[in-house]
Amino acid sequence: MSEIVQYLMSGLTAGAIYAVIALGYTLLYNATELVNFAQGEFVMLGSLGLFTFLSVLGWPLWAAFPAVTLVVGLLGVVLERLAIRPVKKPEPITLIIITVGASIFLRGLAMLLWGKDPHSVPGFAAAAPIRVLGAAIMPQSLWILAVVGLLMGGLHLFSKHTLTGKAMEACAIHRSGAWILGIPSDRMAQLAFAMSAALGGIGGIIISPITMAGYDMGTMLGLKGFCAAMLGGLGSHWGAVVGGLLLGVLESLGVGFFSSGIKDAIAFLLLLAILMARPSGLLGPKAVTRF
Amino acid sequence: MTGKRRLWATTAFAGAIAVASMAVSNAYHQQLLTVIGIHTLLALGLNMLMGYAGQISLGHAAFYGLGAYGTGILTTHYGWSPWAAFPLVLVAAGAVAYVIGRPTLKLSGYYLAMGTLGLGIIGHVIFREWDSMTGGASGMVGIPPLQVGGTVLSLGRSGMILVWVVVLMAFFFCDRLVDSRIGRALRALGDSQGAAAACGVDTGRLKAVIFSFSAVLTALAGFLYAHLVGFISPSSFDFLMSIRMVTMVVIGGMASIYGSLFGASVITLLPEWLHVFSDYEMMVYGLVLMLVMIFLPQGLTRGVLDALEGVKSES
Amino acid sequence: MADRTILHIDGVSKAFGGVQALYRVGFRVAKGHIQAVIGPNGAGKTTLFNVITGATCPDEGRIVLEGMEIQGRPMHELVARGIARTFQNVELFASLTVLENVLVGRHVRTRCGLVGAMVRWPWVEREERGARDAAMELLGFVGLEEVAHKMSGDLPFGWQRLVEIARALASDPRLLLLDEPAAGLNAVETAALADLIQKIRSRGITVVLVEHDMNLTMDISDRIVVLDRGRKLAEGTPREIQADEAVMEAYLGRKG
Ligand SMILES: Nc1ncnc2c1ncn2[C@@H]1O[C@H](COP(=O)(O)OP(=O)(O)O)[C@@H](O)[C@H]1O
Ligand SMILES: [Mg+2]
Repeated sequence: MSEIVQYLMSGLTAGAIYAVIALGYTLLYNATELVNFAQGEFVMLGSLGLFTFLSVLGWPLWAAFPAVTLVVGLLGVVLERLAIRPVKKPEPITLIIITVGASIFLRGLAMLLWGKDPHSVPGFAAAAPIRVLGAAIMPQSLWILAVVGLLMGGLHLFSKHTLTGKAMEACAIHRSGAWILGIPSDRMAQLAFAMSAALGGIGGIIISPITMAGYDMGTMLGLKGFCAAMLGGLGSHWGAVVGGLLLGVLESLGVGFFSSGIKDAIAFLLLLAILMARPSGLLGPKAVTRF
Repeated sequence: MTGKRRLWATTAFAGAIAVASMAVSNAYHQQLLTVIGIHTLLALGLNMLMGYAGQISLGHAAFYGLGAYGTGILTTHYGWSPWAAFPLVLVAAGAVAYVIGRPTLKLSGYYLAMGTLGLGIIGHVIFREWDSMTGGASGMVGIPPLQVGGTVLSLGRSGMILVWVVVLMAFFFCDRLVDSRIGRALRALGDSQGAAAACGVDTGRLKAVIFSFSAVLTALAGFLYAHLVGFISPSSFDFLMSIRMVTMVVIGGMASIYGSLFGASVITLLPEWLHVFSDYEMMVYGLVLMLVMIFLPQGLTRGVLDALEGVKSES
Repeated sequence: MADRTILHIDGVSKAFGGVQALYRVGFRVAKGHIQAVIGPNGAGKTTLFNVITGATCPDEGRIVLEGMEIQGRPMHELVARGIARTFQNVELFASLTVLENVLVGRHVRTRCGLVGAMVRWPWVEREERGARDAAMELLGFVGLEEVAHKMSGDLPFGWQRLVEIARALASDPRLLLLDEPAAGLNAVETAALADLIQKIRSRGITVVLVEHDMNLTMDISDRIVVLDRGRKLAEGTPREIQADEAVMEAYLGRKG
């Protein structure tokens, strides 16, 4: 029993992080119909950025957290401005190669700046594990769940109750239509890049005390975030969250009941299964019409 | 290319190989040429997918590794002859690609890219973790060399000739493929998917077929690599290798068969000439990919050639 | 009537979000006829073609080709069954030559696969020669033999339209759908097009024609269907349509 609670809890923790990364994909996809293959690098930059602000510059957590989020969000804007907007014919293959290029460029840069070895980042609360139903729960897990919950609520308010949020959704539904209505889709794209990069950065910030921060952590987390977004049906906020949590729990149970070697394979197998059986995701409509 | 031009190009290429095989006697140069040949096969394989189907794979290293580890395991653990392993690994690569490609290629290009990115990572994990078969992180040694008749083909002159003869054949056959019913349908697909479908091209199936073909060529390169070098380790088949292949295609130019040779040469020679290169390798690839695709989306050589032609026709 | 019907559109609807592009449209196309579909912009004509060719699936209704329901079948299968089309905005393959464009149209009537293409068995060579002969014959039919080896993108617009028609004919269709073939053509070219369409019909091919050019439509078509905002407004011979008050008001009146 306590074992299952333990697996569930660590699964939810990892899942919450996948959910944040998946939200980044979803948000960007909704506003621009683009999948950013550098999304995982924003996660990596969040982690390494936090390491630098906390351990090198000695900032307190409450200041370092928003500062890193802001910096990573700005990087998203820079990426959009320099590498996406100048593209004349935005076809998927072109955008994929460009964002992949951005991804390994950032990774190479991170390797030069931070070195090849991972850095450890202190937990947000230095308390001892809390015992619940015989399972030991790390305070960092609670932190992660709280941050993700807040983010979800904020995003929901943003997209349902602010003009900008609604405009962004309108872009997703009909780009040229939104343009006719006077919604500046360029500015929306930029905002979407900023927000999705910031979400990736936050994912990296909250995960760093658990996994350590290293230049090569981005690919796997990016892929898993995409898998989560696909599970929930790319384009749906709640789908991204459910998909993330589901992936996290399945992984953790897989590790618990089979072996840890299988962990990374689970996300991939799920991704393939979902691509083959229901490309619109578990929660999405039956047919993929948007492609 | 018309039949006559194809014949000329092939003859000239064969002549160059014959001359090089006699003239190059320095072991280091022979090795370098061998690697360029193998990389050319990789670039050509991926180019058939990227240039003609307009789709991209970010995990082609998995097929490269499948060719290398497949034959390595069958020959060292099970005592198969390389020639018996040969068809099996190629068919396996083609089948894996078809199974992944058939469902994903009906959707937009992002899905194959993500699916193959995952495949590449899983492939690398398997090569690294499946100790008993693959030797784990330290790799596999003692893969037997190929033998034809009584001649052993190993790294050096004979290996170099073997690789380049294979490259020559691959060029010849790919060229024929491009100039055929299938090739025309592929090029049509790249221009306008809707119009190609309206002409009766089963676009989803065709893309899966060419993806399979591309995987087979890539596995062939892996097969040659394993038997020529005799030693393989997971680091040769990681994500960066997949990116290296994409970069070769982007430099060589989309849908340009002979451009593959150029892209492969640049990516092979750069680290040899610039020894500090390894530290900056990722950043350089990243910059090349971004800059070329932003400014010359047809690829570097194609883009430069088109630009030159534009200047010529204006003056 | 029934046995003379090649295509039966039966209560077909299609909506895009809130736009009802087609609403319960139904009519029959007789074998060997030139059937025109007219209507103002946005009436749903192109959508009708998309539904017939399998490019989109109708929300309701049936499409019957020679007694067989075909709605929702994949496009390549329908081309093989004898439906071919051209596009309102010419969609040639720009990186292919004129001849190659027409050869792509021959796709469903040829068999050569990946391996065959590389090995070039004798039957593949024969098939390729046959396809080239057929394609050249069609280029001759539309009068463009001498530009066969030019890049298709380099041709003047009017010729591109003809290449597209030749490409569609290359699949040996029984039913040819032409989406505004005279758009962008001058008077001389339009007259030649009228001749061409009649020559196509005399090859035994049924033609469905979407067209804005009233003279052309009235001249050559056997029957006309009028669409307006997704609905069928009228149907009849050119004479009947010209006499129809509702059509005059909704379409011709509005135009002029
Ligand atoms: N793919 C689509 N998505 C959304 N709306 C569409 C689409 N295709 C057509 N429409 C709409 O359906 C209506 C009919 O369009 P169409 O069939 O192109 O008309 P026509 O060819 O008669 O000018 C128009 O209002 C058009 O905007
Ligand atoms: Mg139209």
